[in-house]
Amino acid sequence: MNTSEIVALLEANGLFERSITVERSDFLKKGGSVDTNIYFVEEGSLYVFMIDGEEERIIRFGYKGSIIVSLDSFLTGKPSGFYIQAIKKTKLRIATKKSFQQFIRQSAAHQELWVSMLEGLVLQQIEREKDLLIQSPVERYKRVLKRSPQLFQQIPNKYIASYLRMSAETLSRLKKR
Amino acid sequence: MTIPTIQLLDELKAMTQKHLEIVTELQSLPDTDLQHRPHAQSWSALECIEHLNRYAAFYHPEIEKRINRSVTKPATTFKSGWIGNYFAEMMLPKEKLNKMKTFKSMNPVHEHLNVQTLTAFENHLQQLLQLLDKAATINLNKVKTSISITPLIKLKLGDTLRVVIYHNERHLQQAVKAAGDISGRLKQMFFQYPLQNDKRQYSHY
Repeated sequence: MNTSEIVALLEANGLFERSITVERSDFLKKGGSVDTNIYFVEEGSLYVFMIDGEEERIIRFGYKGSIIVSLDSFLTGKPSGFYIQAIKKTKLRIATKKSFQQFIRQSAAHQELWVSMLEGLVLQQIEREKDLLIQSPVERYKRVLKRSPQLFQQIPNKYIASYLRMSAETLSRLKKR
Repeated sequence: MTIPTIQLLDELKAMTQKHLEIVTELQSLPDTDLQHRPHAQSWSALECIEHLNRYAAFYHPEIEKRINRSVTKPATTFKSGWIGNYFAEMMLPKEKLNKMKTFKSMNPVHEHLNVQTLTAFENHLQQLLQLLDKAATINLNKVKTSISITPLIKLKLGDTLRVVIYHNERHLQQAVKAAGDISGRLKQMFFQYPLQNDKRQYSHY
């Protein structure tokens, strides 16, 4: 099950009820707010980050074709410290948690589907955890390049560098190799 | 779902032939029945058929194009993709007719329609029978087609054919109901689901 299939499924069941456009550098969500929506990025790109002292720490990206959720808030219904900000003008389609919950309760098949979605999310989290724990910048770069080559076409270098926990100079050096 | 290719195509052909018979029956009904709207927001029989015409206008050329372009050889069995199977089964009418949303462009409600809608659909069904014959000459697993719901994914041709024909079944049942099939004569023409003698497990994964 890949992202496109999940989106097609939600689409076919009429879960994307509305759309919004977020202008470049505007916030979709700010730290401390509750946001339980599921967003599908139709166009543009954005990034999810938290604030650590003076620094932004990038959690993940959303770009054309991806789903983006403030997952902690989605699961708990409580405020989360995550910010979501548009890198460029971004068009999103929105499915609410409520309609998604109705959808998964509809049938055993939909429940199974939710379980496999969760499994996919856990695996992604594990990969991200490895990213952060691996010492060598080269390795970190290679892993992400292999996993999400589109990232490097859609997201400016400075954001990717932050995501990889390295300086923009280091990243551009690695890319030249 | 895994099924011998020939069996799948035969089943789909049998359904489509049945659909042709139903259209012939509908053609014998008076216009008032065909235009009858059971509820303010629901479709008349003609609107159901027009909806199917619109789907056919998208799917038939798409299917034909993919078949013509393909250089594959037929496979003995067809294995449904999980999402293709999901969509196909979603189309099948359930015992208690499950309502589904439709896309605006596919919604013909309150448009001026006449019996030519039925003639057009009859032609579409004939076309579909030819496509099913053509489909036997290529690999239903390997050839993929676009779908009307979203540009994000493609389905295996075998699944697309199921989606289209199950969708016809769904709205023909609705059309018969809307036309107020008083004698119940038309209703008896439909397949029962799951198909009789069909021991296959319909599971989504």
